[in-house]
Amino acid sequence: MNKTMINRVIRKIQRYKGWFGGAAALCMMAGLYVGLLASPPDYYQGEVARIMYVHVPLAHTSLLAYTVLFGGSIWYLWKRDPLVDNMCHAAAGLTALFTLLALLTGMIWGKPTWNAWWTWDARLTSFIVLLLITIGYLMLRTFIDDPEREARYAAVLAIVGFVDLPIVHFSVEWWRTLHQPQSISMRGVSISSGLLIPLMLMSVGMSLLFSYMLMVRTQMLYLVNLLDAKKGRLLSQFHLSKAES
Amino acid sequence: MGFFKIMQWVVWKDLLTEWRSRETMSSMFFFALIVILVFSFSFSMDQQAAQELIAGIIWVAFAFTGMIGLGKSFAVELQDDCLNYLQGCPGSKGALYLGKVTANFAFMFAVEVILFPMFIVLFNLNVIEEFHILLLIFLMATMGLSAVGTLFSALTVQIRAREVMLPILLLPLVVPVMIAAVEATKGALSGDSFALYRQWLELLAIFDAVFMVVSFWMFEFIMDE
Amino acid sequence: MTAFYLRWGVVLVIAMIIVGMTVRDYEQHLASVSPAQILDDPPHGDVRVQGLVKAGTLQGNLEEGFATFALGGDQATLSVEYKGLPPENLRELKLLIVVGQWDPASQVFRARELALLTHYGFVVSAYLVGLLPLLLVLFFMGRKVSLLFEEIKQSKLYQSE
Repeated sequence: MNKTMINRVIRKIQRYKGWFGGAAALCMMAGLYVGLLASPPDYYQGEVARIMYVHVPLAHTSLLAYTVLFGGSIWYLWKRDPLVDNMCHAAAGLTALFTLLALLTGMIWGKPTWNAWWTWDARLTSFIVLLLITIGYLMLRTFIDDPEREARYAAVLAIVGFVDLPIVHFSVEWWRTLHQPQSISMRGVSISSGLLIPLMLMSVGMSLLFSYMLMVRTQMLYLVNLLDAKKGRLLSQFHLSKAES
Repeated sequence: MGFFKIMQWVVWKDLLTEWRSRETMSSMFFFALIVILVFSFSFSMDQQAAQELIAGIIWVAFAFTGMIGLGKSFAVELQDDCLNYLQGCPGSKGALYLGKVTANFAFMFAVEVILFPMFIVLFNLNVIEEFHILLLIFLMATMGLSAVGTLFSALTVQIRAREVMLPILLLPLVVPVMIAAVEATKGALSGDSFALYRQWLELLAIFDAVFMVVSFWMFEFIMDE
Repeated sequence: MTAFYLRWGVVLVIAMIIVGMTVRDYEQHLASVSPAQILDDPPHGDVRVQGLVKAGTLQGNLEEGFATFALGGDQATLSVEYKGLPPENLRELKLLIVVGQWDPASQVFRARELALLTHYGFVVSAYLVGLLPLLLVLFFMGRKVSLLFEEIKQSKLYQSE
């Protein structure tokens, strides 16, 4: 097996992914510097508002990651390209990771701000449903032996889950206006321009970091499959069908 | 065979099998009965508390019973390779989906209609006036559950650990149905005016419509061997 | 592999520099001492003192931005003379931070600014919880990919047909 047997796209990624990683590192370093040192504390929340610079980008990025998973799943069902399936698998793992971190940092922010680790807010509830869907997705993939069927079923689950999320969000929002006082609201944070620069830097940096991680993880899943298939450990040649191209 | 012909045959086949074995309905029914029993032991309820909790209890019982029916819906097709023949069946897979949805809906709805009087008796409820609205709520929520549930029943039937995976995948997705059904039922049982909980029925309608379409479309990919 | 570790080394060094700058910034501008520390070891220049406004000691005209009060810590109490902008959050029995200079001659702390207490633990833990797992996951994924490429390149066992 020589290097040219590796899929062209994977080789392209290997060549260009460094730019994304570098840009992500630059943006995030600058964002951290401005966010932690150069920006003023928030008028209402004081220094605690600095958690925003890590929490909000994580939340944005998990939605971005799930959107990538959704798009990839449609693309897979359309073209049946195994490499796209690797990308979906990678995106699902990253969605779970980013969502979990967004929830955890949100809880840490909630404690000093509303004096509660958790409220059944529409956003928090949608995020926990998102986490459950992606964990279900990853579990489903481990329970299917045939790689082609695994890819197909997983894509269906991702698409149905994506359509469900806005409905979950609205239903919880309606439900919450019935059951909880409005005093605890996530919409209390108004963003002044001084806070916007580090927030933008961190958001862009986190999105770039996600795209870099997606590339690396796609490569990883592809290469593991490739080696497994060449060693005869895979039952079907599914992930190799386009590898020779 | 035409689209509706296939659908008709699938419904007929499921109803006939069920009539002969009575397996699904009876297991759903007794499971629901046990759930009710467990709930009535877990909360020592007076009239007041019962009014508060009953809507939630009803829908937890119905959702879990629904899981049993949905799990069996495609699992019975594994016997004698029926699933392969269904997949090989010429014509639209969508017809197969709609047939299965109709059969599942019929089983779940029938069990709910039988069970609901038992709730009324066991928890001393008072619902004579609002009965038609409750029926509408049950109809729409069961529709939503069976629309997504049938898709996931087909999706989990050929994987390992399918009994576990069906609820794990399905329950997070039907959160809106559960919220809407519980709120609407609570409204109907406490005798609020219809305008107060109309929005929940609208939500159920939206959910049903969206997931009928999406699942109908996605079912093709599940059955595509 | 060397290039891979080198890149991560650079990232680590820059991260350490940011952490170091943040810690220094915290010590210079945000860390506070207790009233007992002021009395034991009178400092020069600006300091931040954290304590509780003792009940019944708050006097002065808040609207003109002038007040005197006693700031209590665990062991010692400091008399504070505040002169600055009209304070919004100066009340008795409130934990806060006063910023200003210690006047050893008159044994009075001359404050010119009041600040709220902040929960730095929450900020630090949010940043650690949010960023460390990402970096760890990325590091191990990247390392695995490099190793896999290496394995494929050097693999003599599985020559292509």
